[in-house]
Formats: sequence, structure tokens, C-alpha cells
Amino acid sequence: MSVMTYNGAAIIAMAGKDCVGIAADRRLGVQLTTIATDFPKIFQMQPKLFVGLAGLGTDVQTLKNLLEFRMNLYKLKEERDMSPKVLSHMLGKILYSKRFGPYFVEPIVAGLDESNKPFLSTMDLIGATSEEKDFVVSGTCTGNMFGMCESLYKPNMEAEELFETLAQALLSSVDRDAVSGWGGIVHIITKEGVLTKELKGRQD
Amino acid sequence: MTTEVSMMHSAESQNLKDGEVSTGTTIIAIPFQGGVVVGADSRTSTGSYVAVRTSDKIACLSDHIYACRSGSAADTQALTDYIRYYLQQLKIETGRPARVKSAAHLLQKLVYQNKDNLSAGMIVAGWDPVEGPAIYSIALGGTCLKVPFAFSGSGSLYITGLLDSEFRENMTKEEARTLVKKALAHAMARDGSSGGIIRTVAITAEGNDRDYTSQLPYGPVSY
Repeated sequence: MSVMTYNGAAIIAMAGKDCVGIAADRRLGVQLTTIATDFPKIFQMQPKLFVGLAGLGTDVQTLKNLLEFRMNLYKLKEERDMSPKVLSHMLGKILYSKRFGPYFVEPIVAGLDESNKPFLSTMDLIGATSEEKDFVVSGTCTGNMFGMCESLYKPNMEAEELFETLAQALLSSVDRDAVSGWGGIVHIITKEGVLTKELKGRQD
Repeated sequence: MTTEVSMMHSAESQNLKDGEVSTGTTIIAIPFQGGVVVGADSRTSTGSYVAVRTSDKIACLSDHIYACRSGSAADTQALTDYIRYYLQQLKIETGRPARVKSAAHLLQKLVYQNKDNLSAGMIVAGWDPVEGPAIYSIALGGTCLKVPFAFSGSGSLYITGLLDSEFRENMTKEEARTLVKKALAHAMARDGSSGGIIRTVAITAEGNDRDYTSQLPYGPVSY
């Protein structure tokens, strides 16, 4: 089993009408043994800015702390919030700085920018960034998640419909992956605020 | 820097070829008064991809003898096909239904003599007129053991304590079935290569009763 599939993860983010959603599974395993069913992979960096980290568990936690540190430094120096685009770019640079000894994480950035327009981006473990208008996926079952998203997604969904679509796409994808699943968590970010819901999934 | 860590029963250590599917699995057999309940999960995986999520790992060898398969899907399917054929031949030649012991020892012979090329851990269980209910466990190298109850496969590691403490002699059919489902649900909660539906077959002199459930009765505890 490769280092990217050692702990298991599944993360999807989708854009809706003036909203974004990001969802992840909750499993932490050591290869095929499940250790925890409440392992966080999505982190709220700012009120309307979320980062999802899929990959090796230790690097997920380390990178989350590093990102928080760099964001705090930015806020102190610039005296303003970090926009999603800037965070995404900074994350890409952090990952590339470790080009020949990388963090084994493939992150997703999802948020609303200053004008409350949805922002989505994903990158590989060495920082190649890709900004998307519709959906981004990352983890150990990307094949499954791409299939579900391509079929279920439609543009300009409202918050409730976005939640349903994200939830179904995630749950069906992880059912075909032996190292992800065991529940799910979804965050829907609108200009009013953030709605967080836990998904009841198959515990196998 | 990137290392392949081998774990017992993982694809790497099972000598599986590239792309070969494994029934990394949980299988158990529990006796009751007058018969045996065999149970299995339904996940067939290639590494981390779930190739089949509703597979049937409980193979019928003869009227009252079933085998549960774990290990390489191809190897175990080929083995059960051979045993089924041999048992049919035996029935014709002797005029009597085959004994569970015969099925188990035939399987042992095949596994032992081909141990370098096979990856199969199986449980043979059933009822015959000579011995009544009987359960045999055949391990990877060809060891054949008659046991009071059996559990095998990658997920069985997680339920050894559970079964040791909950097993009782002379249960009823329903009690045995409930215990089988409980143990399988707990194993599926912890083992990534076990999952899907819980299949059970209750084997008695009168006949066999096949059932499945997709509702897992137990799951992991969250804090």
C-alpha cells in the first residue's frame, strides 16, 4: 500500500449559487485497520474559508498547524484577512518548497472571496494548483468521486440542494473504497454563515 | 523514503499477483443444536478498491456441506469447484452423502500439495448423518483442524476476544445466527477489507436456510 493510501481519505468540494460546500469522510486507519472514526480532515481557517487535507495523517495535522501559523503571520503583517486565492497560492508554494521531500498531502481550498463569489482549488502533493468552477476532489477514491460528481453536479445549486448532492456523491464514492468512509461531515458556506452537518454512513 | 509496509493478510503479503482480487474478509462458523450457522461478509477488494461489494463467499459443496472462502478469490473458487466435483463423485460411488470430514480432508490435500502456489484460508462446515454438526478450519499451509467454532480471514483478528467470551455450547439456531451477525458487524467496523452485507447460512439435517442483511447491527463506538 502506498504512502498516500496509508491512512485513507475522501474529500469533495463543490460550488453552488453564492455558496460552496466541502465534505470529507471521518476515518483514520493504519492500512486496512480502522483506528478512529472522528478524524478531522477539513479545517476552518477563516469564517468563510476552509481547507481540506487528504493524504498521510501526520502531514494533514502538521500542514494544518503550519498553515494556521502562516495565516496568523499574514494577518499580523497585512492587517487584513487572507483571501482564498492567496491561501491557495501560498499553500502551493509551501508544498513546492518541499519538492524533493514532500508533504504527502493533496489539499483542497474552498471558500467565498471578498465579493462572496465561490472559490475552489486543488493541488497535488508538490503544489501544482488547479482552480475549478464546479467541483474538486482529493483522496484515495478520486476515481469514484469524479464519477459521482460528473453525474450528480449541476451549476447554481442552492445551499440545501448542494448539501444533498455533496452528501450522496461522498457516501457512494467511499462505499467502493476500503480505506475511507465510516461517516462523513459536510460544511456549506453561504454569505450568511456556515452550516455543518454530520453524515450517517456505512460503518464498514 | 516511500516504503511498502506489509501487514498480515494484506495484498502484498498474500502473494497476490498484480490486479488479482482478494477476499480479504471475515468468515465464521458457529454450531447450534442440530446444525451449523456459517457467516461471511461480502467485500472483494483489490488493494483499496472495492471490486465487488455484494460477493458470495459461502460456497455450497454438497447438500449439507458449505465452505467459507478467504484469501485469493480465484484460488478459492477453483478449490471449491474441485471439491464440489469430488463430493459428487463420492456420492455416486458410495451411495451415501459425503461427510464433512471428507470434504475438509480433500480440501486439505489440495491446499497442502499446492501450498507454494495457493493463497486460501477456508472453513468447511456442515452436517452429516455420522457425526452431526462439524466444523473444520483449513489454514494457509494446509493445516486442517476440527474445531468447536471457527473464524478466519483478515477481519477475524478483531473478534477473537468477542467470540471467545460470547460462544456457548448448544445454542439455538437463532442465537447462533445472532452471534454470527454480531461478530461480523464488529469485524467489518474495524477491518477495511471486510464490509458490505452479512451473509449467513444455517445448515441442518432438514435443509439450509440462506439469508443476508445489509443493516449492520453494530458499529464503531465514537467518543
